[in-house]
Formats: sequence, structure tokens, C-alpha cells
Amino acid sequence: MMTQVLNRLIISIPVLFGVLLLGFCLLILVPGDPAIVLAGPTATPEVVEAIRQEMGLDEPVLVQFLSYLGRVLQGDLGRSLISNKTVVSELGAAVVPTLELMVACLIWSIPLGIALGTLAAVFRGRIIDRAIMAVSVAGVSLPIFFICLMMIHFVGVQWRLLPFIGRGGPLWTVEGLRHIALPALSLGAIFIGPVARMTRSSVLEVLKLDHVRTARAKGLSETQVILRHGLRNALIPVVTLVGLQAGYLVGGAVVTESIFSYPGLGRLAVGAILSSDFPLAQGAILILALGFILINMVVDILYALLDPRVQA
Amino acid sequence: MSAAETDAADTPAPTRAWYLRLMRDPSALVAALFLLAVCVVAVAAPVLSPHDPFASSRSVMVPPVWAETGSWTHPLGTDGQGRDILSRIFWGTRLTLVIGLVSVGIGGFLGSLLGLLAAFRPGLDPWVMRLVDVMLSFPAILLGLALVAVLGPGAGPVIVALAIATVPDCARIARSIAVSVMNQEYIEAGRALGLPARQLFLRYLLRNCVSSIMIFISLRFGQVILIGAALSFLGLGARPPTAELGMMAAQGRDFLLFAPHIAVIPSVMIFLIVLTANVLGDALRDVLDPRLRS
Repeated sequence: MMTQVLNRLIISIPVLFGVLLLGFCLLILVPGDPAIVLAGPTATPEVVEAIRQEMGLDEPVLVQFLSYLGRVLQGDLGRSLISNKTVVSELGAAVVPTLELMVACLIWSIPLGIALGTLAAVFRGRIIDRAIMAVSVAGVSLPIFFICLMMIHFVGVQWRLLPFIGRGGPLWTVEGLRHIALPALSLGAIFIGPVARMTRSSVLEVLKLDHVRTARAKGLSETQVILRHGLRNALIPVVTLVGLQAGYLVGGAVVTESIFSYPGLGRLAVGAILSSDFPLAQGAILILALGFILINMVVDILYALLDPRVQA
Repeated sequence: MSAAETDAADTPAPTRAWYLRLMRDPSALVAALFLLAVCVVAVAAPVLSPHDPFASSRSVMVPPVWAETGSWTHPLGTDGQGRDILSRIFWGTRLTLVIGLVSVGIGGFLGSLLGLLAAFRPGLDPWVMRLVDVMLSFPAILLGLALVAVLGPGAGPVIVALAIATVPDCARIARSIAVSVMNQEYIEAGRALGLPARQLFLRYLLRNCVSSIMIFISLRFGQVILIGAALSFLGLGARPPTAELGMMAAQGRDFLLFAPHIAVIPSVMIFLIVLTANVLGDALRDVLDPRLRS
């Protein structure tokens, strides 16, 4: 088990390195002179020179990269060109809302997807199965922004049920829940399809196995067979699916946050790019990529915990 | 229809041409016809468009023809700047398809090449797979954001990002298909005959992998279109005044209350293209290569 986790951590090192290289490139490859761009439009020549010195822009690229690594490891990602706050403080304010959104999204969509997938497997080939599979294919094909716009149009504007702009506060407050509801519903909607499909094929696979036949033979009720012997063993691939779809989740969060003006990392990244705020864009992309790597790592480790066979 | 053909239709034989088996599936048939129509529309957009897709007019937010106040002058109505939506849909479909096809084409080609090489030359395998692992840890949308941040918004950076994002998945699938082909006896036979490596690679390995890889690429196509449209929706992809379906949906966002059709029509178009691509991809896979089912 420990070697498993250790191996996983070692694999992550080149990936982390790649992410940092990407962040570095974002700062260096900006159009024009990076020092002038980073100093902002109102900076005096002295400030530009100071930044040039600080970043070592006259040095060879390798030295620049090493000094960038040093600064990042010390938690220095520079300052936003627009707000002049440190990038770290801007990111810090956006991390919690994004995490809340992801939790709020997964907490309803994964169980629903699993339930629908199991139902489809149990009623294989019947009308329920076909309906669920049709809905999930349609769900995978819907552009996420369209779901968001429809949520705003109907739930927010026409029926006036829920607010659709911004964040209302922490997740455990009533306002916080009311504000996060529409973004979380929209983001979760794209998740149900893949989870349902994966659960269905996985349950069908498991129901063919010997231990299920044994369970039936010893006279367990069909519900018990499916829930205790089928579904439980079928959930492992579903866990990996969540990891595989983490990119989907990050991408969906970027779009959802932007549309609902939800103050998370995704909106921060898009806003920073559109306003050419390079240090902030670099920081936001760095954090999102790190989050993605972390999700995948946790999923791989969970996978090893859930399925003893993986350890071989 | 000749007697032989009737017989073939009555008794489904595994040797029957794959496209005939595909056409027995009504949803696949509809999907194929729709995609064909979409391609025709995309290619012939300059000829088919009833109006100039970029010219504004005074008749803004005209509803589509099925609404009470709609007219046949603008069958799908006009947008917030009075541009004809039908014409813009034609042109937008064209750009959306180009973005999807070019990026899937480039990424699919490079990815398959990597995967095939990894299977063909086991010495390369660990290196290729490490590279793939690293590439897999960048979600497409983040790559897109990063490239746009450096290069500025536009269709070009989006295509590059989507192509790069297609490479690792494709390499993985191509490798797993190629590894099973490499274990076949005819490869052994080819080696025993002393065929040069190039011939073994092109005529024995590639030919036997290409259809499975193409199916996988066709399944990716829908996802790539969705990500490309999302980036354009956010203002990071195609730039005005060109028409792109995601961007058109974004432009309709401000008129959602008074003229929902401006945002809904391009969104539905994207949905239909991706849906039919997915349905057709699934059907193709079932017919041609059930091994990929998992």
C-alpha cells in the first residue's frame, strides 16, 4: 500500500515540473517585453528596471526558470496588474468557492448517476434502460453553457425560484446554498450521463460473475443481490471515472463560474486572460492544474484502497 | 432489389458490408444523414446563406418564422445586431466544424503515430507512456486558457490546444490496439519472411489498427467540438465578426429575456452536431469493433 502511494507520488514529479514550466512560459512568452507588461501601463522606468532585476530577465532562460521556481516555492506568484493585490491573496479568496462548487456538484450528481446506471442495468433492454441511456447520451452532448443559460432563464428569471448571480456566503448558510444551487445543478447535469453509463456497464459486468450466482442460489432477494453483491463491486470503475472526468469538471467549472459570476478560480482565470492580467492568469492556471493533479492522485490512491487486486 | 440482396437482408451475416449493418440501426442512419447535411451546409455556406452573415440591419431581434411575428425573410430571425441567424448558423457551423476536424485530425494523427511506435518499438514504450502521462495531466480547457493567455484569443490557439489535448488519449488507445495486433501470428510471419521494418509497420501493423483508431477518434470529435464552443462562448476562441456557434450563443446571452432564440438556436445546433456524432460513433464502434466497448 505504501509503495503504491509512493509510486504515485514519484510519477507526479515530472507532471508538477511540467505545470511549473507552463506557468513560467505564461510569464515569459507574453507579447512584448515581459518587464514592461508585468509592471503595468502606468509604471515608471525605474519600476520596470526593478522588475527586470527581480525576475532576472537579463539572465539566461534556465536561470530565470530556476529563480521562478524559487519564488513559486516561497509562495510568491507576483502581483495582479489590475487590482495590485498579490496573486496569492486573490487565489486564496477564490479557492474555497470553487471547492464548494465542486462538492455541491458531485454530491448530487454522482449518487443520481449511480442510481440511474444501476436501474438501467437491472432493467436491461427494457424501456427504462433505453430512456436512461438516451437521456445520458443527450446529457453528454449538451454544451454546458446552454444548460447554464436555460437554468438562468427558467429557474432564475421566469420562475424566480433561485438567485443566479454571485455567491451568497459559505456553503452552510441558507443564502450560500441558495446561490450555489443553480451553478451546482448546471455543472452536475453534465456529470450524470458519464456516471450512469459507466455504472450500467460495470454492474452488468459484475452481475455475470460467480459470486452473484452464488448469492442468488442461496436465496437472497434480488434487491439484496444487486445492492450488496452487484453494485458494491461495480463501483470501483466509477471511482476512476471521476478521476478521468476531473478535467471535465475543471472545464465545466470555468464556464459555469463565468456565466453565474461565481467568484471562483475559473472566473478569475478567464477574467485575468481577457484583461491581459498575466501574473494572475498564470497563478490561476497553475492552481487549477495542481488541483487537477491532486484529484487524480487521490482517485488513484482510493482505487488502490478499494480494490486489493490493483496492488499487484 | 435482386434475390441475393433480399436474402442478405433477411439473414444478417457477419460478412455483410459494415455500412449495411450500420444502416439497419435507425438512429445511426438518422445521425449519419444529419451529419452529412451539416457537412453540406458547412461547405456550401457561401452559396446557401440567404443574407450576408456579417451585415447588421435595423430589423433587430426578429423572431423565427414559427413565432407569431416571424417572417420568411429571416427564417430563424435576426440577432441583436439585426444579422440573419440562418446565414450565421451556416457560417458558424462551418467554423465550428473546421475547428473540430482540424484539431482532431492533427491530434489524432500525432497521437496514433506515438501509440503505434510505442507498440512497434518496445524500447520507446516507457518514454512515450511517460510523455502521455504528463500530457494527460493537462485538461484541454486549461491548455486552451494557457495558450490563449499567451497568443491572445482566436481560433488558432483553440485548435492547437484541442489538438494537443487529443494526442495523449489517442496515443493510449492506439498503443493498446497495436499491442494486441503485434501479438498476432501474421506479424511473426512477416518478421520471419525478413520484411523490412518500414513495410512491417505500414502494411502489417498500421492497416490492421487504422479502423479501430478511427472509431475512437470519431468518438472524441463531439467532446472536442464542445470544448471549442465553450472557449468561444467565454470570448477566448473565435473573434467577432466571424460567426462561430459558441460565440453566437454568448452574443444571445444578453437578449435571453426578450429574444431567447438568439442564444437557443446556435446552442441547439451544437447539441445536435455533438449528439449525432456521438450516436454515430457508438454505432460504428458496435458494428466495427466491439472490443472498444469498455
